[in-house]
Amino acid sequence: MILQQNMPLIEKLNILSDSAKYDVACTSSGVNRRGNGHGIGNSLAAGLCHAFAADGRCISLLKILFTNECIFNCAYCRNNCNSDIPRASFTPEEICTLTIEFYRRNYIEGLFLSSGIMISPDYTMDLIYQTLYKLRNEYDFNGYIHVKAIPGADPALIERAGFLADRMSINLELPTSESLKKLAPYKSRRTILKPMRQIQTGITENKNEVAVYRNAPKFVPAGQSTQLIIGATPENDYQIMSVTEALYQKFHLKRVFYSAFVNVNHNTNLPMPAGGPPLLREHRLYQADWLLRYYGFRADELLSEQRPDFNIYLDPKCDWALRHLDFFPVEINRAPYKTLLRVPGIGYKSAERIVKARKTSKLTYDDLKRIGVVLKRALYFITCSGKMMYNTKMDENYICSNLLSDKTQIPREIREGSYQQISLFDQTTLGSLALDQQTMIRAEAPV
Amino acid sequence: MYIFICENSLEGILTGVYDACASRLGHRNIRLMTGEPAEYELFSEYRTVEPSFEKSRKVADTILTRLDRNFYETIYQAAMSAELHNEKKMDKADAIYETILLALSCESGQKVLLSLGEPCVYRIFELCRNTNREACHHLEFLRFRELKGGVLFAVIHPQNYILPYVAEHFTDRLPQENFMIYDATHKLAAVHRAAGHFMLTDASDLDLEKTKKYSSKEEEYAKLWISFFDHIAVEARINPSLQMQLMPKRYWGDTPELSRFV
Repeated sequence: MILQQNMPLIEKLNILSDSAKYDVACTSSGVNRRGNGHGIGNSLAAGLCHAFAADGRCISLLKILFTNECIFNCAYCRNNCNSDIPRASFTPEEICTLTIEFYRRNYIEGLFLSSGIMISPDYTMDLIYQTLYKLRNEYDFNGYIHVKAIPGADPALIERAGFLADRMSINLELPTSESLKKLAPYKSRRTILKPMRQIQTGITENKNEVAVYRNAPKFVPAGQSTQLIIGATPENDYQIMSVTEALYQKFHLKRVFYSAFVNVNHNTNLPMPAGGPPLLREHRLYQADWLLRYYGFRADELLSEQRPDFNIYLDPKCDWALRHLDFFPVEINRAPYKTLLRVPGIGYKSAERIVKARKTSKLTYDDLKRIGVVLKRALYFITCSGKMMYNTKMDENYICSNLLSDKTQIPREIREGSYQQISLFDQTTLGSLALDQQTMIRAEAPV
Repeated sequence: MYIFICENSLEGILTGVYDACASRLGHRNIRLMTGEPAEYELFSEYRTVEPSFEKSRKVADTILTRLDRNFYETIYQAAMSAELHNEKKMDKADAIYETILLALSCESGQKVLLSLGEPCVYRIFELCRNTNREACHHLEFLRFRELKGGVLFAVIHPQNYILPYVAEHFTDRLPQENFMIYDATHKLAAVHRAAGHFMLTDASDLDLEKTKKYSSKEEEYAKLWISFFDHIAVEARINPSLQMQLMPKRYWGDTPELSRFV
């Protein structure tokens, strides 16, 4: 371990942003707040992304750790107490000036403060709370703050921090408690879920209070989120989606984030996939996550015990549609909104536009194109005034091979050939696709 | 066919709408056009519209009373777009003219904005989307630099006329700052004084040399930001094409972190 006194600010910032970057949540959404006229800052519910880093991820918040010293030894984490990396800590003062100065220059939308666990969870949570207090009160900062609740910290401290922050999150990290026990022996399902439940009840109570007293202080107004690491442990997609669904339903989370596992510690007990982190799998999980939140799908519709993983070639919605051809074709001019949402190529915005536009006139395929429907995907599943766009067959293999003949539909990872190329002149069937997928997953799995 | 040539501004276009209606030539025989055409048609008569505040206000009042505020704002946003006309698409002024006529002829006219099947309504939708997207991008990608004396200064190069929207946002966000946003495309500036409202002013004679005298702290914070920007990317996920897709290169030049790569 390298310890250094009086480190210049820029080095601290480098160390502590390096340590924070594997946390994926960087959204500034969920709360609308106008400026207060005297301080600095406001907030837009849609969220703003101020820059995009070289990895294409958005930079919305100043994402830093308070300290990367940590008494825990989670195997997946870069900052665990056994790893040999430079350590640093900010002071509350430094974090406040950095946030304000960056915010003034419109570099960031607010602060994302997380921390390694120094001395004890309570001690760390208290430092975080003090920082937020200073920022909100002394610096009159009215922008967005996302803060991590430290597992195992005193509920009173978490509550106080919640009144200063917009969003709070506690990372579940691993979908099953066995994996958690294996990789993060100092954390347990209970210490993670307990504060999560506390925040959930806090938000509900606060909503009722705000309904009566309009100016009551708001508790975590932008809701809470969490993160799951993908690919460090052998859980399948079905398990992950079920956990996600439970989190949305039982804990009313705003978002669940997925983070493709990067083996930063070069830990030989953990997988180290040759093709880099499992980005395609992460992408499929995000797609399915949106289907859960916005499109009214359930996890057990998308996956099952028999098909526990997502199709590599097709996105979850297309995949579902191909397995439920009895549901189609859908008549655009009549189908209810919820049915439209299930058609591949129709997003929730275009579904909304369709419902509004068809009140005044019958829609044609030209209109659909203008509305923003992706016809090359949707055409197999819809009719306009009783007619299909082309003379197509309602046949699983036929539609599947047609969908795949459009090269842009195939994910980049497969197109650029780290996987075996599929030939479209073969009689491609879903069965063989599923088989391919199995071999691929085995290729990805730890050796 | 009679073609009314309007000035490229909300006032110009709304005056065009007024004149077209008042001319009594029949709507079917009239088209509006923003700016001089590249080629004149042989069998059309061209009339140039003098922008008039009075006439445009009458049209605006009609929209506000017989339709609604949302409709007016949509028309306004469409008029702020820089996309005038190209061979395939409808002219901006003509789309506005037709949409207003269509809306006024219906019982609940504000709803015509939802019928994207109508070519003119769809064109308005496109123009609005164009303006809004760019305006949002500028809220995100605009960067202030602190000059000597503590004034914040930003340069933007927008295609559309979005400066008022951007200035409004920052007035709410930074009420206690003196700042100035310079729109280099339209040579306009929005100036905001602490605890006041912002003003728009012509900035064609702005001394750009003076805006390069940064305060002593500015370089330090820019350096900190660039360093943060570089460190926050995960090496295993580097993906320049995704980065470019999400933040088009035309925005790069005005930011400290990416102007290095332009």
